Amino acid sequence: MNKSRTSIVTATLTVAALTTALTGCNSNPPTATACSLPEGPNLDHAISAARFDLETGCEHQFDQYFQRLLTIAEGDPKKDNKTSFSEFLIWANEQGLLSKRQARETYTRYFGIKYVSLVSDYSVCDQTCPHQEEVMREMNKELVDKEQGLLKISADRREYYRANRLFQETELVLEATCEACGPIE
Amino acid sequence: MKITTIRDREYKQKFLRQLMSACLLLMPVAVQASSQTPTIKLFPTTVLEEIKHTGNVAAEMETGLQTVITRLDEQQTLYMESKCEGNEGDPGCEQIARQMGNSYLEMLTIMGDKLPEMETAVNSTSASLEKRIRRELGQKKTSWSLQELLVGEQSASGKNADRPVLRGRSGMRLSDRFHQYYKLVARSGGEVNSSLAVVASDIYLDMQETSSLIARTREEISRATLMEQLNQSFGTITPEMQEVVAGVKSILFGEEEALTPMTAPPASQLEQGYESPLKL
Repeated sequence: MNKSRTSIVTATLTVAALTTALTGCNSNPPTATACSLPEGPNLDHAISAARFDLETGCEHQFDQYFQRLLTIAEGDPKKDNKTSFSEFLIWANEQGLLSKRQARETYTRYFGIKYVSLVSDYSVCDQTCPHQEEVMREMNKELVDKEQGLLKISADRREYYRANRLFQETELVLEATCEACGPIE
Repeated sequence: MKITTIRDREYKQKFLRQLMSACLLLMPVAVQASSQTPTIKLFPTTVLEEIKHTGNVAAEMETGLQTVITRLDEQQTLYMESKCEGNEGDPGCEQIARQMGNSYLEMLTIMGDKLPEMETAVNSTSASLEKRIRRELGQKKTSWSLQELLVGEQSASGKNADRPVLRGRSGMRLSDRFHQYYKLVARSGGEVNSSLAVVASDIYLDMQETSSLIARTREEISRATLMEQLNQSFGTITPEMQEVVAGVKSILFGEEEALTPMTAPPASQLEQGYESPLKL
């Protein structure tokens, strides 16, 4: 009697232990990725790896992944790299990792001629001139990103030249316009 | 007959999806672009005439000064070649120094006579341009639409050779500068808005600088005249006198080299690049 009671208790305990173990596994599912940034010189492979990671729990590290992809692309500069980054950002938008606006601004920041630092809703006199120096500082930082995107990654000297020229012209025109707008009240 | 495989279908669907997302991303930009018809009025006839007039006044002043400055140069060469430096007591050297002093006074007088007219012309052009720039670029544009105005002509034509050189004013006569401005503005006929915005900004900032320079020079002329009249009694050439002459020559006739323009892009890179649907 005692013997059978003991075996019932043992069986119950075993079942309980197994249940606990299984529940433990369920509450902590095995992670497919450890959010390790892609390595190696091949951009396409790196993008595939990044997509996999960003789809499986690493989305909070999007910026780091994007920066790593830029660095990898610098190792093999060519015009096609622009297409790869454009497709990657469209994918990121479709996956909900970025809004359309963020995707457009990120692409333009690195691979476009125009400056997203100049995005504004109000007149130059009212919105830009009171922060003229700050705007120029931001444009300067963006020019560095364009150097990376257009020159070091896409090997597109002509587009970089145009971005640089636009920077100089904007600086001149803003200086004159803000002078003409008069002192900030 | 063509057989469509599942792989082909998948590929088409993928392509269609990408095309759709590209269209979606482009839509707001297209709407934004179509709503903009930039026509800026920076150079009405009045401003154009003012620029021309300022150029003429500058030319008159230069003509008047050219003779006296050439004479001053010759006198200075003679002074140096005669080894008059450190030998001021020599009667011949004293005579050359006095002649130089007279030429210097003559130069100051011409400048004193012509500068008020020059100042009025420059200030008038500057004020007209200021009004136009404030209204057309400062109040009617956002920084984004201003940028679109500037980049518009670059992408439309790609002819960078026609674009104005920025702020490279050294090494050019004042009147030539105005003549060049006039030609740039008159030639464009109001069609090249982006270039006009740059030219207007360049002229306006130049006017501002020139105006403050003229004001400072006018203040200095009476003091310099008095000092030279005193020096005349001793027959000496002061370093200040040499400096003023050099300054005037540099402002009016330009003696420094023009700023080196940015390196042009390599000729091999002129083909049309990739256009992303994400591009703003």
